[in-house]
Amino acid sequence: MRLPRKYLVNRLVTLFLTVWIAATLIWIIPRLSPVDPADIMLGRMAAGAGAVENADAILEQLKENFGLNDPLVVQYVKYLKNIVLFDFGLSTATFPTKVSSLIARALPWTLGLMLLSLVITFFIGNLLGALMVWSHSPRLVRVAIPAAMVFTSIPPILSGLLLMWVFAAKLRWFPLTGAYGLTVEPGWNWAFVQSVLHHGFLPALSIVIVTFGFWALGMRGLMITVQGEDYVKLAEAKGLRPRYILYKYMIRNAILPQITAFALKIGLLIAGQVLVERIFAYNGMGKLLYDAILDQDFPVIQGVSFVIILMTAVSVFLVDLVYPFIDPRIRHEGATS
Amino acid sequence: MTDAPLTRADRRLQRRMRRFDNPWLNPKLLWGIGLLLGIVALGLIGRMLWNLDLVFTGSATLKLPPVGFENLRRQPGVWDHPLGTDGSGRDMLALIVIGAPNSLFVGLMASLIGMGTGIVLGFTAGFVGGRTDDVIRVLSDVMITIPPLLILVVFQSAFGDVSLTMMALLIAGFVWQSPTRLIRAQVLSMRQSGYVQMAQLSGAPTHHIMFREMLPNLVPYLFGSFIANVTTSIVTAVGLEVLGLGPQRIPTLGRTIYEAINAGALIQNLWWWWGIPTILLAVMFIGLLLINLGLDEVSNPRLRRLS
Amino acid sequence: MTDSGGKPVLTLKDLSIEFPTPQGIVKAVKSLSLTVHLGRRVGFIGESGSGKTTTALGIMQMLAEPGRISGGRIDLGGTDVLGLSDEQMRLTRLSRIAYIPQGAMNSLNPVMRVENQLWDGVVAHEGKIDPDELKRRSGEALASVGLGAHVGRLYPHELSGGMKQRVCIALGMILGPELIIADEPTSALDVVTQRQVMLTLKDVQTRIGSGLILIGHDMGLMTQSVDELAVLKDGVLVEHGTVRQIIESPQHPYTQDLISSVPLVGGDSFLNPSTRAAAPERDSREPLLRFENVSKVYGEVTALHPVSFTLQGDTPQIISIVGQSGSGKSTMGSIMLGFNPPSTGRVLFEGHDLLRINAAETLKFRKNIQAVFQDPYACFNPFYRVRHALRYPFKRFGLARDEAHIQAKMEEACGAVGLDPDLVLPRYPHQLSGGQRQRLIVARALMLSPKLLIADEPVSMVDASLRATILSNIYDLKDKYGISILYITHDLATAYHVSDYVMVLFKGHVVEAGPPKQVIGDPQHPYTQLLINSIPWPDLHRSWGRDEAGWDPTAEEARAAEAPPKLRGNVPGFDLVVQ
Repeated sequence: MRLPRKYLVNRLVTLFLTVWIAATLIWIIPRLSPVDPADIMLGRMAAGAGAVENADAILEQLKENFGLNDPLVVQYVKYLKNIVLFDFGLSTATFPTKVSSLIARALPWTLGLMLLSLVITFFIGNLLGALMVWSHSPRLVRVAIPAAMVFTSIPPILSGLLLMWVFAAKLRWFPLTGAYGLTVEPGWNWAFVQSVLHHGFLPALSIVIVTFGFWALGMRGLMITVQGEDYVKLAEAKGLRPRYILYKYMIRNAILPQITAFALKIGLLIAGQVLVERIFAYNGMGKLLYDAILDQDFPVIQGVSFVIILMTAVSVFLVDLVYPFIDPRIRHEGATS
Repeated sequence: MTDAPLTRADRRLQRRMRRFDNPWLNPKLLWGIGLLLGIVALGLIGRMLWNLDLVFTGSATLKLPPVGFENLRRQPGVWDHPLGTDGSGRDMLALIVIGAPNSLFVGLMASLIGMGTGIVLGFTAGFVGGRTDDVIRVLSDVMITIPPLLILVVFQSAFGDVSLTMMALLIAGFVWQSPTRLIRAQVLSMRQSGYVQMAQLSGAPTHHIMFREMLPNLVPYLFGSFIANVTTSIVTAVGLEVLGLGPQRIPTLGRTIYEAINAGALIQNLWWWWGIPTILLAVMFIGLLLINLGLDEVSNPRLRRLS
Repeated sequence: MTDSGGKPVLTLKDLSIEFPTPQGIVKAVKSLSLTVHLGRRVGFIGESGSGKTTTALGIMQMLAEPGRISGGRIDLGGTDVLGLSDEQMRLTRLSRIAYIPQGAMNSLNPVMRVENQLWDGVVAHEGKIDPDELKRRSGEALASVGLGAHVGRLYPHELSGGMKQRVCIALGMILGPELIIADEPTSALDVVTQRQVMLTLKDVQTRIGSGLILIGHDMGLMTQSVDELAVLKDGVLVEHGTVRQIIESPQHPYTQDLISSVPLVGGDSFLNPSTRAAAPERDSREPLLRFENVSKVYGEVTALHPVSFTLQGDTPQIISIVGQSGSGKSTMGSIMLGFNPPSTGRVLFEGHDLLRINAAETLKFRKNIQAVFQDPYACFNPFYRVRHALRYPFKRFGLARDEAHIQAKMEEACGAVGLDPDLVLPRYPHQLSGGQRQRLIVARALMLSPKLLIADEPVSMVDASLRATILSNIYDLKDKYGISILYITHDLATAYHVSDYVMVLFKGHVVEAGPPKQVIGDPQHPYTQLLINSIPWPDLHRSWGRDEAGWDPTAEEARAAEAPPKLRGNVPGFDLVVQ
């Protein structure tokens, strides 16, 4: 099966533009600021080292090292070149650690949590949404889910706080913070995996329990539309089994707009997850970002923001790539958005 | 028509169906509006009845619990601070009286600006077409992928403190995309519709077609999109505040949560410190969701079938 | 009933179906009794809301909630359908009763290959089957409706409407049911395709020897397709008999209405042309409308090949443009209205190029070219009361002296199209029927009294009983108010009656043109002949291909594409030039 070229080119252009615009915004914003972040971070480094003699000279030297004395265009081109190579410079708080290595350490945790929580919510949410409409669902499902749905409008950060308080602070069933216990040795051993799962449960749960409702609600509306379609009526007239109709005729069609919505929503979901990581002090990008904000570690803030936006854009691109394979109509028309 | 005797089930069904008659008397919509008005009322009445300076003084006993509870130091709550105090002795009631409407304000303002931009861009794209349409379409496709939180984090860490209005403006820069896309799509389909063609035959000028023929029919969609954007805006604002960014000198719900977490309020069982702002925010979001669900049901009667 | 084929396959006894609503219980079907025999075709005819589809869904046990069967018996070849469990009913569907649904466009699952949609029906009844065996059976079923085996590998969006409906027929016969229920199987199709699909359906039904219930509203189609007719009105079976009985001596007044409302080529006109009004005073010596080598190309598709004509407009005339969907007739209409710039050539209205006049003149010209569109539901802005649609243009074109004048004019126009202004004008569009809305659009045209009216399929979405009324309203515009009309339609019979001149369009070419008595009464071009032969006449002597098993419309169309255009004489005031 081949993708229409026009479609592919279109998606690639969007991916490229997204990344480029984000990178440019991240570069340009600090330069518009009345406060020079370079001063702040350099000043901070200096302060960290105690009183420094001829600080001005050092500052100047550092500026030279960071290339801050070049013309803006040169700086911009250099910046773009570096960013393509994932080189975000050196962290000022933990000088001279490379920002990219800090990110490389945090990224797997964030990706893991994201895959777990986003994918689980997407499936649970859509399944529940479908069951809310399906005429053969148990009555309990059709009544109980809508009632529970009301609480799913709150952002994960708030549900995270509540869960943390009840299950970690009060009941002590789960650890309060971190991604794994301090006593275990990281590596592929059972104790470590167990610890990771134990620590990851609450952050993942706090995302899942409040975001599945979004999918469930969307799915419910789509299912109601699909339920009235002629092909579902014909499927019933064909004497197909109700469960088969549910999966192959109703969900299979109703899920398509949901997948598009998933691509549009990914950015907000990842941002929500970053916040959850921050309150659970989970060793991911959220914690890295939060620590960097506290330390005014500007290169890390820039790096983390860029990588998260890149992750979002790539996820959207991947969804777009997969979409034609599940909707034959796109494959043939090569339709653009 | 009604000659057969009604059974009990029939009558219940009839009652449920009567709701079809006046869709605006939708219970979800009314509840949602009620919850939000409650928060606005809290802000207004609180300002009249309560001493708001208590937010700044911090002169009271630290970490006092709400009335009827005891903290770990066995101090009971007092009526001077009915909802307790935070880690620096600020009055929680005064805090939420100021903070809760602030969050709502940021959300409403950002959404209004976003909506205005969306209307202008959406109509422009739909009517002008060609290159302009391409630029607007691609730009909104691109900008909808970028999570606002991260760009705003970069912005605020570079600029330092911001005012509430500034924050609303910044967020507005990220909530114009979905109304733009929505309006563009609707305008493109409406341009082919019979009544717009009829208006063209009636010699209607473009502004008449845009604002008198199309816009009224967009209202339900715009409402829905607006409410969804208010939610997104508040979530983004709270997110920034919880990261320690956002306005530094004005009490906000998010900032209160930030301080509570930093002070280890969870372990010290100071639940009122983070819990009260959390519950208020939750009420706000539930209210917004109910309004959105209600609006959906008003504009799409098929959804009403399932309670 | 007279001779009745094989043994009874379906017996309805006092069947009643009701829907609880806020206003109380609505009885959709009232004590209906009827028997369908093996090998017989029974037509259910009636207007929308007459209970014909509800009856069919009742037999299938597929009524939409909250509908329910409130009384009576359904007996399917000895089985009491109402006594079956859900699982038994599921197994009965398709294997004993097949249902062919109305919307040919949407009745196949868009994300599944055609053959998979045939297979899952078989598997649901017979359990797991060897894939090769499935493939053989689906290929066989497709072949029986004249489709090649490769169609099985396609997705529904790759099929035309007629092919989709034939796939549905293949699906209906794959398990050899005792009864097929076809619910308006051709409602969305062109006449040529309709004829092909109906012939396929009849052929399949004869081969498997099942009973057939055909649901429809078109008396002509019924006459050509079924053995017995059941006429339904408001849920009551008002008449039932053989087609011959019903056509030749209808007993019930409603049946008589249904039969007489079908326009025929030849026969009595439903119009009563009285005095002819003179054309309105024209302040221009230029012809009213002139096409100069106008063509339209979309991408690689030529929707309209270059055509030139001149409509003088000194005497009011109705020019009909006839064709199937995709013939370019609607493109022509939108070019005339200035909604769609032509790819080549010019459109001149009284000597002015519509696309090159300034804003002040635009208003003047706009007033003089008005339109009635196909879809009366879409023509009203749902936000406003319907009077907005009449009032706004009247004011905009500066015709109104004051509010009272507008009101008087609106009332007068409503009266002229047979509507009660007090009842209709203050309503919202959704409170009116399609027929009422379309008459309001005609009233709107009347208020503006343009010089030219483009009527694009004005009655194709209106219930049959109202079509004649609306057409005579439009006809009156010419007759009483002197407005020239371009009537765009797929319906040759009405074109025959209303027009002064007819152009037949086929794939963007004018293939035959001339006065209707000649073009439609005695067609010379193979395409016009194909069209006319495909019309199902409510006339038992005018057969619609009962003996044409090998009829192949594709070959006929290919032949038609070769033939040169036939110009059949002129009428004064209209000149056509075809390249």
